[in-house]
Amino acid sequence: MGSEILFFFEVLVGGLLAGTMYSLVALGFVLIYKASATFNFAQGAMVFFAVLSFVGFMELGLPFFLAFLVTIGLMVVVGLSTERLVLRPLMNQSEDTLLMATIGLGYVLEGLAQAAWGVEVRRLDLGIPDFPIMFIADSIGIFISALDLTAGAVAAFMVISLAVLFTQTKIGLGLRAVADDPGAASSIGIPLKHIMLLVWSAAGVVALVAGCLWGARAGVQFALVDLALKALPVLIIGGFSSIPGAIVGGLIIGSTEKVLEVYIGPFFGGAIEGWAPYVLAVFFLLKRPEGLFGEKIIRRV
Amino acid sequence: MSNQNSSENILEIKNIEVVYDDVILAISDVSLNVPDGSIVALLGGNGAGKSTTLKSVSTMLASERGKVTKGSITYNGQRVEKLNPSDMVNLGLVQVLEGRRCFGHLTVEENVISGAYTRKLSKSEINSELERMYNYFPRLKERRKSQAGFTSGGEQQMIAVARAMMAKPKMLLLDEPSMGLAPQLVEEIFVIVKELNDKEGVSILLAEQNTNIALRNSDYGYIIETGQVMLDGSAKSLLNDDKVKEFYLGISSEGRKNFRDVLKETKKNKG
Repeated sequence: MGSEILFFFEVLVGGLLAGTMYSLVALGFVLIYKASATFNFAQGAMVFFAVLSFVGFMELGLPFFLAFLVTIGLMVVVGLSTERLVLRPLMNQSEDTLLMATIGLGYVLEGLAQAAWGVEVRRLDLGIPDFPIMFIADSIGIFISALDLTAGAVAAFMVISLAVLFTQTKIGLGLRAVADDPGAASSIGIPLKHIMLLVWSAAGVVALVAGCLWGARAGVQFALVDLALKALPVLIIGGFSSIPGAIVGGLIIGSTEKVLEVYIGPFFGGAIEGWAPYVLAVFFLLKRPEGLFGEKIIRRV
Repeated sequence: MSNQNSSENILEIKNIEVVYDDVILAISDVSLNVPDGSIVALLGGNGAGKSTTLKSVSTMLASERGKVTKGSITYNGQRVEKLNPSDMVNLGLVQVLEGRRCFGHLTVEENVISGAYTRKLSKSEINSELERMYNYFPRLKERRKSQAGFTSGGEQQMIAVARAMMAKPKMLLLDEPSMGLAPQLVEEIFVIVKELNDKEGVSILLAEQNTNIALRNSDYGYIIETGQVMLDGSAKSLLNDDKVKEFYLGISSEGRKNFRDVLKETKKNKG
């Protein structure tokens, strides 16, 4: 195989693996979108809040797993307070109202995280090196980072578990019912409070995992909030309500942005991976607004 | 008709007043009883207070910023004021909301199964319950894998009723099951409702604008207007009542009058 082609595949695989991380953040959005039909602008802040707290607990001397568990507990508390203080008073309000509330919630979480743990950039060491795996490099000649590969595996695991939760369990059925029509769901006795609490806690756990994987690569810092917004083009491409959509959308964004950066970037003076995904998203909005896997907007006449 | 005997009533509403947003008076004085195992029709035009009455019973009112400000509602011997919709379903009272409100993105079967959410059933129990419902609604079985949002209005009404029945209710509140449906389908749905009442023993309070079909399929009826009960009686007597005939069934040679005016005239003539 020519080294040109090998290099292309290396870029592609690197992009796909980075894409799984986008998928992971997008999953957090999908969870909340599925249960409350709201785009949760606070998801980026939740990622930041979760991983900063995680690093903070480790700095306080907690061992890795304990810190992880404590942070999960903390994210459940965040979900609980969000349900009690924000969602419940806004129940049966328009979706726009909820959207605005999530923007506000995002700022509150960012502020809380920085007030509690400070503003400096932290390092997060997961014990997985961000170096090429020599075994793969030797056998096929492609350099793939161990961290990327781990992130891909973790993202895949989370995705499969969530897909099973949504489609195969009673709670999943309840979640989807609430997303479709909260009023009708409550009329057949599905407790909205519990569903909301569950969804926000699950989104918190997803945020923590995504934050860990990203933080390990880019450092635990405020920029994670903006990085998380990359999930927006991912969701536009994949469809807001679809778990497979989040995955495929993430892979598409990850791979195209890396390939474009390497091959077309030089003509634009580089750094096009920052905006190329949004161009792709605009294209999808024009041609296929529900995304690849999104639920078709049902309109009966 | 001894409709006042409290021990046999599964539902008793006594002189309730309902206010939305603390200012809008929707119901000023409604009292009604539903004897256990019977079908009672709540009749009246748009904005008469039928839906509000049903929502006061199912406690869905709170989510629309409505409040029962006077009177009492007793379901199965228990006051409902402090309960929420989930509690009511657990106590065996389920409301089928106006406009059917199916979960559009779920399949027909998922919709029906979702009705059993509050019951702790095994997979095989759910399947046998599902089959039981399909016996009443064979049409739904044919369409079990379709997305509910793409089914017809009649099928959606069937889904909504089957979904509610999956909770194994003692009492159903049906809000305008005939709305927007072709006459033939309305007949079909009322036949099934009657069958559910006969075979499952479920008591039914139904709000309807279609007075004729509602009375033909009920035991007792209440007519409400502008938030007050104007007239009540056995379904048969209401069907034969001249005033009801004139204003709700459209059988008259005279011109149109407000129902309340007619009642006033009747009172004057008596006095």
